[in-house]
Amino acid sequence: MNRIPLWTLAAASVLTSLPAAADEDLKALREEIAQMKQAYEQRIAALENRLKEAENRPAPAPAADPSGQVGAGSAFNPQISLILDGVYFRDNKKGGSAELYEHIDGINHGHEHEGHAHGELERGFNLRETELAFSATVSPHFDATAMMTVSSEGDVELEEAYFDTRSLPYGLKIRGGKFLSGIGYLNGQHPHAWDFVDQNLPYRTLLGDHGLLDTGLRLTWLPKTGNWYTQLGVELLQGNEQTFATSGEDTPTGRADGAALAGTAAGELSARKSGPRLTTLFAKFGPDLGDSHALQFGGWLARSSQHQEVHDHTEEDPATLVHALEGKGRAWGLDAVYKYDAGRYGGQGNVKLVGEYLRLDKNLKIAFHENGALVGQKRDFTQDGVVVQGTYGFLPHWQAGVRYDVTGLTNKLDGPAGNLWDKNKSDRWTFALTRQIDHFSLLRLQASRGNLWVEGAQENVNQIFVQYQHSLGAHGAHAF
Amino acid sequence: MKRLLFLLPLLVAVPAWALDVAATTSSMGMLARAVGGSQVRVTELAPPDRDAHLLQAKPSMLRTLRDAQLVVAVGAELEIGWLPAALGGAANAAILPGRPGYFEAAAQVPLLDAGQAADRAQGDVHPAGNPHVNLDPGRMAIVARALAERLARLDAANAAGYRERAQAFAAAVEARSSGWRRQAGGSGGALLYHKDAAYLLHYLSLPLHGTLEPVPGVAPTASHLEALAGRLKGKPGVIVHTPWQPPAGAEKLASLIGWKVAVLPLDPPAGSDAAGYFALIDRWVEALATK
Repeated sequence: MNRIPLWTLAAASVLTSLPAAADEDLKALREEIAQMKQAYEQRIAALENRLKEAENRPAPAPAADPSGQVGAGSAFNPQISLILDGVYFRDNKKGGSAELYEHIDGINHGHEHEGHAHGELERGFNLRETELAFSATVSPHFDATAMMTVSSEGDVELEEAYFDTRSLPYGLKIRGGKFLSGIGYLNGQHPHAWDFVDQNLPYRTLLGDHGLLDTGLRLTWLPKTGNWYTQLGVELLQGNEQTFATSGEDTPTGRADGAALAGTAAGELSARKSGPRLTTLFAKFGPDLGDSHALQFGGWLARSSQHQEVHDHTEEDPATLVHALEGKGRAWGLDAVYKYDAGRYGGQGNVKLVGEYLRLDKNLKIAFHENGALVGQKRDFTQDGVVVQGTYGFLPHWQAGVRYDVTGLTNKLDGPAGNLWDKNKSDRWTFALTRQIDHFSLLRLQASRGNLWVEGAQENVNQIFVQYQHSLGAHGAHAF
Repeated sequence: MKRLLFLLPLLVAVPAWALDVAATTSSMGMLARAVGGSQVRVTELAPPDRDAHLLQAKPSMLRTLRDAQLVVAVGAELEIGWLPAALGGAANAAILPGRPGYFEAAAQVPLLDAGQAADRAQGDVHPAGNPHVNLDPGRMAIVARALAERLARLDAANAAGYRERAQAFAAAVEARSSGWRRQAGGSGGALLYHKDAAYLLHYLSLPLHGTLEPVPGVAPTASHLEALAGRLKGKPGVIVHTPWQPPAGAEKLASLIGWKVAVLPLDPPAGSDAAGYFALIDRWVEALATK
């Protein structure tokens, strides 16, 4: 910095010593020097600026994108996880207990669809469905997930395949594709996240083995509600093969026992309505109870605009008459979850309590009947159920669980002149002992005693399971 | 209309801070407060009395993340069991990984143990590197500067303040570092339960003699303790574990080799400022100084 004035001084003293005759040259020289001086000052100022900038700059960051995540997954490959699940199974019905659970007396009895072999259990070793899940971020705007199950026979079923939006404002999110509905608390959980080996009775009998799983769109919203967590959701679902939303059934043209339809047969099922035929609304609320406690309440409502079912029991009893019903279905439920996180090693002291109530109404009319005079009569089906379950970490990595589930507290069919039948409730006690061997493996011993009503007869059904489960690949986070 | 106009100044006056920050741990909360000053309001998601790796997502976290403008995470998969689920459920586009509202401390500094084999036979390994950077004051100073730049990007009006405070935090670390190193210098090193204080040992140039866990995430076994005892008997050192790690293995080994056992948390108390963090490092240094 000091060098320039010194240097110009020296140059000036040389110039002043020159003879006056060289005035013109002197002027030219002075201009040249002034230009040089200006150029040097500019360069020095630029250097000073660069120095200042360098001083203000933060320490050199590593090569990773500073907004990014450090993780094991490579950037473009989807996260893959695989769940292995197997059971050793015994019962007191020579292997027939799974069949009895499939035929519990209720309003959805006798309405099964082909292709689902969930109930099939053999005494001894069983490989249950293997879950395979892929998930990745598609773009700044979407995430996508696909989840399939492979049965021990090699049958592949696409359980879920959906996208989620990432970039909507105001706490909004849209999910589209085939997915587990957001109703209830247990409905959204895959079997590997269950605290027990098998599905609870209300879900199984009112919604089906998977719970409510359908194709469509979901919109959820997290409004700003202070310390309270609030989630509101609405779903427009196609209404495919649900217990209260089935369409496209054919008007019967024959009987299952091979006989011809009675001459008095009349009526027909209407054509399949266009979707979405099933709408759900759900809300979840959770207060902030500090670091160790978490609580969530929920309520939901689902309505179908079309439901059809065909009843043909002539194979078992030729005296029955073939008929078909159609109308609308409505289901609703309430749920509550409480979790206590003791903060101790291996989940010791942790408590989790879940309670759900579900109720299903099918408001139908006879659309076709072998006795044509009955066409147009109403048939209102109602059934409800409760599941209450709890787990407790009594030792590090050891968990004890108890579940009581009951279906058919109300279990009736009403016709135009009043009650047509009233069936009994079926309930069950289940005890489970779970050993979390490590982050990725568990062993579970489960015993249950069911008091079931099947075809009007009471059955005491005992089941014992020993289950192992392994989770391979990305160990993804579980929602609350 | 007039009444509404009266309310207008209230609306403008309400937020006294510029940014809502959700910090995953109390260390990250401390850093956000130290750098953000009064311009940020910090909420900590994980309490310091339990393992941040094994937490579960819960509704109150989603509530906090829904309104946050910045998430300050430790990163490198420390929060993998709950933060992705909580971020997914919070429906807040601004704080997703890759956006300016997502900040991971581990992404700002080089990590120890990076590039291990991705083999779960070696336990709950994280090939990207050891995530527990928060106990390294030197790395935290670098993270503070990076955090200041991030805050400056989100809130340019207060950029100078963020940079000044990050500089002050780094200077405070610098002022203490020679004292810490002098106090711990020449000590025998430590055996940990899990490699969660490896960065601090590295910072103090002390040896890490191993972990009570045979591999990450697996409880101590008798044969592993025997092997450790055989290797460490007669050497100086200290066994350190956290309050939530089971003490049995440490006590057993201590009885075999005569080392002291210290029980120390990995993070400062909830809501700490820089002084709280330095007090935590003081406690660790004191426990590690075995001369």
